[in-house]
Amino acid sequence: MIATFPHMGALSVTLKSLLSGLGLTVLPPPPISKLTLEIGAKYAPETACLPLKVTLGNYVEALEAGADTIITCGGVGPCRLGYYAQIQQEILKELGYNFTMVTIEPTAFDVIKIIRQLAPKISMTTIYRAFTLAGAKMSTLDEVEDVLRQVRATEQVPGTSDHLYQQAVAEIDSAADPREVRVISDLYREKLLAVEKNDKNPYNIGVVGEIYVMLEDFVNQDLDRRLGRLGAHVHRAMSLTNYVRTHLFRSRSYIDRDNEIAKIAAPYLGHSIGGHGLKSIGTTVSMAKQRFDGIVHVFPFTCMPEIIAKNILHQASNDHNIPVLSLAFDEQSGQAGVITRLEAFVDLLNYRRGRH
Amino acid sequence: MEEVNLAQTIQIGLPRGLLYYEYGSLWQSFFESLGAQVVVSGETTKEMLNSGGVLDEVCLPLKVYVGHVASLAGKTDCLFVPRIVSVARQTYTCPKIMGLPDIIRSNISGLPEIIDPNISLRQRSTDILDAVIDTGRRLGQSKTFSIRAWYFAWRQAKAKRTLPVAQSANIRVGLIGHKYLIYDRFISMNALDKLLAAGVDIITPDMVPADQIDKAARSIDKKIYWSYCHELAGAALALIGQQAVDGLVFLTSFSCGPDSLISEIIKRRTQAGNVPFMLLNLDEHTAEAGLLTRIEAFTDMLKRRNR
Repeated sequence: MIATFPHMGALSVTLKSLLSGLGLTVLPPPPISKLTLEIGAKYAPETACLPLKVTLGNYVEALEAGADTIITCGGVGPCRLGYYAQIQQEILKELGYNFTMVTIEPTAFDVIKIIRQLAPKISMTTIYRAFTLAGAKMSTLDEVEDVLRQVRATEQVPGTSDHLYQQAVAEIDSAADPREVRVISDLYREKLLAVEKNDKNPYNIGVVGEIYVMLEDFVNQDLDRRLGRLGAHVHRAMSLTNYVRTHLFRSRSYIDRDNEIAKIAAPYLGHSIGGHGLKSIGTTVSMAKQRFDGIVHVFPFTCMPEIIAKNILHQASNDHNIPVLSLAFDEQSGQAGVITRLEAFVDLLNYRRGRH
Repeated sequence: MEEVNLAQTIQIGLPRGLLYYEYGSLWQSFFESLGAQVVVSGETTKEMLNSGGVLDEVCLPLKVYVGHVASLAGKTDCLFVPRIVSVARQTYTCPKIMGLPDIIRSNISGLPEIIDPNISLRQRSTDILDAVIDTGRRLGQSKTFSIRAWYFAWRQAKAKRTLPVAQSANIRVGLIGHKYLIYDRFISMNALDKLLAAGVDIITPDMVPADQIDKAARSIDKKIYWSYCHELAGAALALIGQQAVDGLVFLTSFSCGPDSLISEIIKRRTQAGNVPFMLLNLDEHTAEAGLLTRIEAFTDMLKRRNR
């Protein structure tokens, strides 16, 4: 069995570690490229949302490279994600690929069941070790990325921090022990914070919206990096750690945080609408109260929950006096269009700063 | 009955859009049993669509719904815009319907009080009573009175379905789509009448008995968690499986998320069952002449095929 999975930002580092720790042979898909997008868009339903198309492209490329088992997640709705696996499986079968699709529904029970099915012979200790190492990699990557986004906004020589980050990812990827991961984390945090700064005062920009577009730099046209180069310290509303702890492990503190966000959002949206729609609104209000300069709201074109959020966000934006830029991404999204809009947005923030 | 007199002066506006087409008559008789006077917005017009243009990127029926709400502004004491999260266990409606009252509040000003009970039967079907009591309370009615009014309305609305037997030698076409598309003459550009005028018999999902829908839908790997799409897919698969139709037309609106995936499932099943399939995707730029041409071409093809 050669296992593969969809890409989403740095997810592959974590999943590769977890699955090989469970004794599986792992073959991640090639990095997302224009070709991936073209393959996905060609075979997926035309009006399906972008993540379905890109991950379908991932699968085709991975199966071509020799993978025979696809591991992916399910869902309970009302977002379309919960139905991706069924549709993609039918499409891939029709294309003539021979493979098994393993869909993990988002409950701890299902996770355990699938692990037992994928790796029947391994001991509980091995499973525990695999999870600890993968978990350490996941949270470390998220922590280092947080520092990266802070440093990038004010670095003297553009690209210094990104270069360091790439080194950190490579080292985390090859680390074999949670303690080693922690050492790498401390080391790179120091290195990043020591990067030479310019004398500019960074903008604080929150990025809210749909998690796949937020985390996958190829799909969001390098949003964080572009905003960083424009002098913005980007704060993401979500991270992989956050998602896994909230939805899979249902950690108390993360769920409490979610409930609090829902309470903040309540005057604008009184009920969850699936995906991250409620979070987008709550986080926007919460960030406005923390005196952020602006919010960028990202989502895949035709994403149902985020479209509802978008059509409500303008009200929150007015009430709390915070500019919100909504960006929908699809396979046609051009780089130039995104860059122009981001530049205009930062110009606006600059103008508002001068006025106050 | 003192309670009735209290409510008699209250006028409730029902926007004729989205799930009105599923439950409109039920809601109407419920409110009338509560002693209120019901005002339903008229048939969809171009102006309604235009006032729905305040929304960005949403589906056509939601824009039209906003237009219906706007058309009722100033005409009634309150508006009934329920938040229908789920109508059956482990299912949802769709994100747009779940956020409906919030969308309305954020985008139309000068509206009267909005009655927006949460209707969520995701856990238990008896949770409907919470919504019934909540609605009654807002109209100043007691618990028991509201429940009685609901029971009365519900019994009236219950009707049994049977699949119509072929009465003529006409070609039969399954017209699959949400009720708020098929029965809204403006949104669907009268696709139903156009098909009938082309000389074919039509079967819509609401003619397919519920048990046949559930049975056919079971052949799908994972149960569809959008209630109405479960119904559409089940009805389509039942019609294909029983060879009850000569062709299938799927009517959808651009940017409908659930439809974009289930239309793919249905399309694949029609190919496997050798049933001709046509997808009609509606948005505000759909041209009536183009729609007519496609319908005629499709029905002509079916007639040639069956000769």
